[in-house]
Amino acid sequence: MEFNKTSLSLEEIKFGFSKFPLKYGINLEVGNGKVIPEIKYFPRVKEDLKEEYINITKEVLNRAVDLGIKDLQLETELTYVETGNPKLAGEIVRSQRDIIEKYAKEYNINLGLRVTIADMRDFRKEKHDEESFTKMLETFEEVSKNGADVLSIESEGGKELFNYSIIRQDIIGIVVSLGLLSILDMKKLWKEIVKIARNNKVIAGGDSACAFANTAMRLAGGMKNNTIPHTLAAVVRSMSASRSLIAYEEGAVGPGKDCAYENVIIKAITGYPMSMEGKSSAVAHSSLVGNVAASACDLWSNEQVENIRLFGGYGPEVFLEILYYDTKLMNEAIKNKNQDCLKKILVESDKYLDPQAYVLSPEVALEIGKTIVSEKDTLLRTIFAGIKLVELMTKEERLNLNKNETRFLKVMKTTLEEISKEPYKKVEQALPTYEQKISEYRLKDYF
Amino acid sequence: MSKEKYLEAIRDSIVNLDFDKSREYTLKALEANVKPQEIISKSIAEGMDIVGKKFESGEYFLSELIVAGEIGKEITSILEPHLKGSEISRVGKVVIGTVRGDLHDIGKNIVAIMLEAAGFEVIDLGADVPPEKFVEAVKKENPDIVAMSALLTVTMVEMKNVIDALKEAGLREKVKVIIGGAPVTEEFARSIGADGYGADAVQGVRICKAWMEEKSKTKT
Repeated sequence: MEFNKTSLSLEEIKFGFSKFPLKYGINLEVGNGKVIPEIKYFPRVKEDLKEEYINITKEVLNRAVDLGIKDLQLETELTYVETGNPKLAGEIVRSQRDIIEKYAKEYNINLGLRVTIADMRDFRKEKHDEESFTKMLETFEEVSKNGADVLSIESEGGKELFNYSIIRQDIIGIVVSLGLLSILDMKKLWKEIVKIARNNKVIAGGDSACAFANTAMRLAGGMKNNTIPHTLAAVVRSMSASRSLIAYEEGAVGPGKDCAYENVIIKAITGYPMSMEGKSSAVAHSSLVGNVAASACDLWSNEQVENIRLFGGYGPEVFLEILYYDTKLMNEAIKNKNQDCLKKILVESDKYLDPQAYVLSPEVALEIGKTIVSEKDTLLRTIFAGIKLVELMTKEERLNLNKNETRFLKVMKTTLEEISKEPYKKVEQALPTYEQKISEYRLKDYF
Repeated sequence: MSKEKYLEAIRDSIVNLDFDKSREYTLKALEANVKPQEIISKSIAEGMDIVGKKFESGEYFLSELIVAGEIGKEITSILEPHLKGSEISRVGKVVIGTVRGDLHDIGKNIVAIMLEAAGFEVIDLGADVPPEKFVEAVKKENPDIVAMSALLTVTMVEMKNVIDALKEAGLREKVKVIIGGAPVTEEFARSIGADGYGADAVQGVRICKAWMEEKSKTKT
């Protein structure tokens, strides 16, 4: 299904509410009037992974019982090791599922399990590593059969060109990577994921531009970081939404993946529930978007925490508690009709401090969403999403931009407008030049 | 155009991050018999110095330092056929890679580009590099420095394995070892027996340059 209009108005882009709520797992209802914590964990041991996941699941659920949590989603993000071993992946998920069912029954908790598999393809290999692609699909199949409720991935098609381009602030390279290569790969991948999800009656959740926009976000870093322009990182986020949207056009229905900060734009377009992460994901990485990212979330995540012992317990249980109090605050605001006020605070406290926060504010996200759906052509969608954000940032006097950022904003304006005049010609000219520069780049395998 | 003007124009093209102009003026300068060595020592070195200062003062981004480095590299590749063997000098040689189990190579790539821009010969082993591959490369390439990167706490432990493998092969004393990456700290570097730790690419390159200066002083 192609999206040709946005689903939500500005007022409707808010935490805890979506236009198309989902029911899955054990009585879990997402996007229908409350925000639910989504806890994600990372195993510390390599020897007996299954045992480690069992321990983590029990830790988390025990803490949930202690705190009186009534709705919770767990996310198991499989590494390359488990993704490359579909049988092991299935066994891990099955063992988690058994525990989840036990706790749901005994303690009356509504629970869901998202399973994200690793994009383990080596894009340097012939046909972009068909063998690994097949294995990834097998793993999706196995986890679906063994108790996953939601399937997700952070796919990486186009990343080899993106990595080359982002550190050189090469805008045409970024456009080709996000607006062409990544989209071609997403179409191929998500057709298969949606098929597996439907066959197994589980939910096709969504993808994340983590490999692109979060790479840019990490490079841009904090206020004193001068690695790449923050305006560029924001434009990458804006453009990445046209790429992540493909999962939903191929049939995914949400909840979108937590680290896809572009989900605010995706939510505006699709109306599907979204998971987001922000201040409580500081355990995994720093960002300048900790509050604004919460303004439109339906699930609220911590991104990733290692299963290490802290004073207050193991990492996952500690962060579940933090997430729980974050969501309690939001849910209380909904209940007491203070939601608009809290949303405003979440947005305004970050929005003008950095371009990366600005792009995630519902007002800006909606404008970008409208720009994306006004075009059918995915390359144009990507370019225009970038141009729209550049226009908005240029006009916004309250946005905190130093001289260097303002200078680069002008460079982006000129370059993107130039590309937009003859997009396909520019892309055709650029495409072969990267083959000489990037050894792992196999252009023909995208087509 | 005088020789000085050509040298200035090439230098400015680096400062302005203009690939096309740098290529154009380099070719014209060669036609006008400007010595390649002068282009290297004056245009490229001065240009990179200005860009470096602009980065340090916050006027340029690191990504712009990288672009300038690539322009310098391209100018050098145009000049190389015109240089005698003895005129092609490198500051030092670095074997670099992201350690086993870690596919995150963007930080490593930034360091590699900046080392090249600083005049190092860089042997890039890529990502997910096992210790034995580092050892093999040290045996084959005889580098001055081994540089390792990791982004994950679970993979940074591989750095110690590389150092141990170098010791086992009797190569540890022949090279300096520098490490970097998000989870890595100076304390960790010390604990595994690395010689240096770069908190970022700029610092990493600075340490490598200092080591080579020290080495050249020891030689003389």
